[in-house]
Amino acid sequence: MTVAPAIEARGLTRRFGAFTAVDGVTFEVAPGEIFGYLGANGAGKSTTIRMLNGLLAPTSGAARVAGHDVARAPAAVKASIGYMSQKFSLYLDLPVRENVAFFGGAYGLAGAALARRADEVLARAELRDVGDVTTGELPGGLRQRLALACAILHRPDVVFLDEPTAGVDPLARRGFWRIIRDLSRDGTTVFVTTHYLDEAEYCARIGLMADGKLVALDTPAGLKRTWVPEDVLVARGRGLREAAAALGGRPGVKNLVPFGAGLHLRVAPGTLRPEDAARLLTAAGAADVTVEQAEPSLEDVFLAVVGNAARGAKGPTP
Amino acid sequence: MNDRLRRSLVRVGAMASKETLHVLRDPRTLVLALVMPVLMLFLFGFGVSFDLDRVPVAIADADRTPASRELVRRLTGARELVSAGEADPADADRLFRRGEAAAVLVVPSGYGAQVARRERITLQLLADGSDVVVANQVLAKADALVRAESRRLAGVDLARVDPPLQVKLWTRYNPAGRSALFMVPGLAAYILAISAVLLTALTVAGEWERGSMEQLFASPVGRLEIVLGKLAPYLVLGMLELLLVVAFGAAVFDVPVRGSLALFLVVGFFFLVGMLGQGLLISVVTKNQLVATQAGTMSSLLPSLLLSGMVFPIENMPPALQLLSRVVPARYLVHALRGILLKGNGLAALWPDLLALIAFAVAVLALATARFQRRLA
Repeated sequence: MTVAPAIEARGLTRRFGAFTAVDGVTFEVAPGEIFGYLGANGAGKSTTIRMLNGLLAPTSGAARVAGHDVARAPAAVKASIGYMSQKFSLYLDLPVRENVAFFGGAYGLAGAALARRADEVLARAELRDVGDVTTGELPGGLRQRLALACAILHRPDVVFLDEPTAGVDPLARRGFWRIIRDLSRDGTTVFVTTHYLDEAEYCARIGLMADGKLVALDTPAGLKRTWVPEDVLVARGRGLREAAAALGGRPGVKNLVPFGAGLHLRVAPGTLRPEDAARLLTAAGAADVTVEQAEPSLEDVFLAVVGNAARGAKGPTP
Repeated sequence: MNDRLRRSLVRVGAMASKETLHVLRDPRTLVLALVMPVLMLFLFGFGVSFDLDRVPVAIADADRTPASRELVRRLTGARELVSAGEADPADADRLFRRGEAAAVLVVPSGYGAQVARRERITLQLLADGSDVVVANQVLAKADALVRAESRRLAGVDLARVDPPLQVKLWTRYNPAGRSALFMVPGLAAYILAISAVLLTALTVAGEWERGSMEQLFASPVGRLEIVLGKLAPYLVLGMLELLLVVAFGAAVFDVPVRGSLALFLVVGFFFLVGMLGQGLLISVVTKNQLVATQAGTMSSLLPSLLLSGMVFPIENMPPALQLLSRVVPARYLVHALRGILLKGNGLAALWPDLLALIAFAVAVLALATARFQRRLA
C-alpha cells in the first residue's frame, strides 16, 4: 500500500495578466517530509504557496493538500493546514497569549482544550516565559516562533512557512529549525520557502524555482550529484592568484574561482588529484599550498541551476 | 451540523473578543467612540442655536422725545435685541462692517408729535444682510415688537375691537421653540454616523495593512464570520454611545424621552448596523486606513449633516436632493428619534423609518460580504 502524498501539485499555473508567475509546476510531498522551496525573489514561491493554501485560484492545473482538492474543498484544506505568511501578521498590540488564543479560536478551539493546547505550543516554541508580554515588544526571532506556534495550534497535517526566518539572526534561525524538525518527526509535513541556502540543507528534498518554473527537484545530495558532478578542490596558500594560470589550461578543469584568499576549482571527476594540484601550483610559484577535496555546497547547485535556467537549458549540462 | 454551528460560533467569538481587546488597549478608539460624541454634542448643542439672543441694534433717534425713548426702550427691553448705543444712520455701513450692530433702527424726527396726532408713522430698520438668518430674525422680531407698541399706542379701545381674522399659534412638542430639542436627535444621528463608520473602516483596513487578513483567509474563518465578529464589539460600543448621547441630551439640554425606550434602542440598533456595515464596505474596498478614513468621513459626515433633515429641512430641498436623501440612513433616524423623543410616537407611526434602516443595514452588509468574497480566489 502506498501512502497518499501530503501535497500534490499537477501542472499548477498562475498568470497575472501577461505575466506567468508560476508555470506548470508538478511535484509531490510525502507526509512528514520537510520540503524546501528555493528560488530568487519573484521566482514564484509565494504564489505557489498561496495556490496550495487556497488563497489564490490557479489559472490552470490542480492541487491536493492533506487529501483534499484545493479547488473543490477549500474549507477542508484550510482546516488541515497551518500557514505562516511572509509578512509578520500577528497582532502587535496584544499579548503573546492573546494572539495564541485568537488563532486557536479561529480554528475552532475553545475552553479547556484551547488552554491546554496553547500551553503545549508555547512550551514547544519556548515562549512560556513571555506569555504576558505585548507581542510588539518581542525581538524578531521570538516573533517568528510565535507566528509558528499560532500556525500549528490546531495540529495541522501540513504547514506552509513562507520565508519564516527572513531577517532573523543565525542563532535564532537554528532554534527555529529545531522546532521544524520536531514537527516533521511528529508526522507534520512542512513546506518551507527560504533563500538561506544553509537552511535548505535541513530539508529532505528541495524544489528549485526559476522564473516560475520548477527547474530542479531532488534531495540536497542528489542535487549536488546531478548539478555539480565535478570534484570541488579548495586550495589555500600564498601567491595562488598568480599561479592559477598554470591550472587554467589543463584538461578536466571546468572552473576556477578565487574565493577569499583561496581558490575554488571544479574538475571532471578523477582528472586531477588534490596532491597533483598542489604540486602544479607550487611549481607555478605559489607557497605553503594545501589542497583539499570539498563537498559541493547548495550554493554551487543554486548558481549552476539558475545560470542554466537563464541560458534556457532544460537539464544539467553534462 | 450542530458541531459546525458550534465551531462557527467559536470563530465569531474569537474574532469579537480579539476586537474587544484591541479596543480596550487602544485609548484612541475609546476616545473616538465615547468622548468625541459628548464633546460634539456639547459644542453643537450650545454652539448651533437658531434662537435669537441679545442681537445688537444701534439706535438713530432723531426725535429725542419721551415717546421715541419709550419706543426704543420697548424694542430693546426684550431678551432678543439689545441696544448697541446711539448712532447716525450714515454710520450704518461702518457699524455693520465692524460687526458692532446687526441692524440700525432709525426713528424720524417728529415721531413724538406724530404719535400725539395719531398719524401714520414710518420707522426705518437698516439690517446687515450678510447673515441672512440673523437679518430675517431681527426683522421678524422688530416687526412683532413694533406691532405691539402700535397696539399699545392705539389705546385700550382699539385693542378691544377684535380683527376679523386671527391666528392663534399653539406650538406642540417644543413650545419654547428651543433649538436644542430640535438639534439633539439630529446630532445623535450625525455623531453616531461618523463614529460608527470610522470605527469599522479603520479596523478592517488595518487588518489588510498588517497582512493579518491573508492569515485569516488561510484559516477556516469565513467572510461572514469575520464581518460578524468585527461588527459585534463595535455594535456594543455604538449602543453605549447612543445611550450616552441621549442621556447627555436629557441631562444638559432637557431633551425629553416621551416615547418607548425599547423602540428607541431598536431603531438605534439597526441604524448602527447600517453605519458599521458602511464602514466595513469602505475598508473592504479601499484596504488602506488612510483612504478608508477619508472615504468614511466624507460618506458619513456630509450626507448626515446636509441630507438628513438635521439642520436643513428636506421639504425645502430640490427634488433631486430629496430623492438622494432617501438613501441616507441618518434621514430615517433623525425622523424616528424626533418622533420618539419629542412626540412620543410608536411603531405605528415609525415603521417606515425602521423598515428603511433595516433595508439599508441588510443591503450594505450583503454588499460588504460579497465584495469580500470576490477579493480572493
